[in-house]
Amino acid sequence: MKRGLSAPRGLWLIALPTVAIVIVPVLAVFWRTDWSSFLNSISNETSRTALVLSLRTSLVATSLALVFGTPVAWLLANRDFKFKSLVRAFCVLPMVLPPVVGGVALLFAFGRRGVVGARLDEWFGIQLAFTETAAIMAQFFVAAPFFILVMEAAFDQVDRRIVGAARTFGAGPWRTFVTVTLGLVRPSLLAALVLTWARALGEFGATIAFAGNTAGRTQTVPLAVYSQLESGGDDALALSTLMMIVSVSVLIALRGRWVSALRRGGQ
Amino acid sequence: MSLEINCHLRRGKFNLEVHLTVAPGAVLAISGENGSGKTSTLDMIAGLLACTSGKISLNGKVFDDSTTSQFVQPELRGVATVFQGGGLFGHLTVEKNVIFGRGAAYRNTPRFDSAIEQFNLAELLSRKPSTLSGGQRQRVALARAFLAPSEVLLLDEPTTSLDATSRDEVRRAMKTFFETYNGVVVLVSHDDAEIAELATNVARITILRGENTTAVLQD
Repeated sequence: MKRGLSAPRGLWLIALPTVAIVIVPVLAVFWRTDWSSFLNSISNETSRTALVLSLRTSLVATSLALVFGTPVAWLLANRDFKFKSLVRAFCVLPMVLPPVVGGVALLFAFGRRGVVGARLDEWFGIQLAFTETAAIMAQFFVAAPFFILVMEAAFDQVDRRIVGAARTFGAGPWRTFVTVTLGLVRPSLLAALVLTWARALGEFGATIAFAGNTAGRTQTVPLAVYSQLESGGDDALALSTLMMIVSVSVLIALRGRWVSALRRGGQ
Repeated sequence: MSLEINCHLRRGKFNLEVHLTVAPGAVLAISGENGSGKTSTLDMIAGLLACTSGKISLNGKVFDDSTTSQFVQPELRGVATVFQGGGLFGHLTVEKNVIFGRGAAYRNTPRFDSAIEQFNLAELLSRKPSTLSGGQRQRVALARAFLAPSEVLLLDEPTTSLDATSRDEVRRAMKTFFETYNGVVVLVSHDDAEIAELATNVARITILRGENTTAVLQD
């Protein structure tokens, strides 16, 4: 017998379904994958194009989250301003919104007949919907909140006195931000980037609504999986396995860092 | 020509009144109970806090003036600070911490070498602050402040976290430094022996308790 306080009897048993409902499908995908044709499946024309497109769009979306999300997160953590909680609520709204609804919203804003899209088309001849740019915007829309949330918690943790120290030793606000603040939050920044990228890579609902599902143009890997599944193709499983490997690798690489970042932010 | 502070800070129900004049070459010690506003006073001089009302100036140069809305940013004040607990940059090595106020080229100067020797930092240069003891951290903080170009040096309980041996060592180093320093020194300390040894003037914070607490710091 283990010595020490005992846990409520039977708790393990009740906890089991939660763990099982995640583990069983993951194992099932790996189990059913035909490993002899795995490489062929993920390297044929459709899969390769989808993979390259996914990689490109998700990296661009993540970079945009880094550039435009960092100031948002810093301001939310460090400055008091009017409607701050409203701004925060809107920034994380896409996390709780069904992604497809987000896609519809993007369509009504930036689509050809959208509020902004109509003007863009009329004045500059720019059409965003159903293009690669739309896929990037959809990914940014759903993934940026993860970046902002993790980074706001990280900026909030930075000791104000250390930042103050940098200022008194002659560093202006920008130099302090780049050399001290960003240096101090680097572990969280890496976690935020990986998490954001993973979310962007897996984006489906907003993409299909706003960017469509055109092979070679807007068909990212999750959309390719969906199309393959619909048409009964064999590649759906192989691509799913690949996505699964990527996701598991991401979690292993982060080793729970983002969880602790979120937890700190919740306090 | 001196550091002149006549200001008021309001933080909720806490009020701090500071009226001080410190001449160059003087070492002013500030003492008072915990939470009486000693660190806030240093923060107002350094520019990390703005006065609610009043004025702070150094040699006629205005740092903070509520009537004209002037506020000079901390990096432009020439005020070096030794923060309580060190205030070191955790992601940088000891060497980078020490030369933060000067830039990388300063590594090759005799002044850098002598500071490293004086504070016994040669062995620690490539280490990160998290691997240092409290005494070692404080020595790094002192070296950083002594090396930075400054007209005012603020020390917030610089020897509080140290054991007896390193406390004596650090006090000797401060004493030597103060003898040649031309600027204004403001030292916050709880330790009467330290004040007697290092300070040329002493100001104590008096707390007046009423509906609102008012702390008064006057020389």
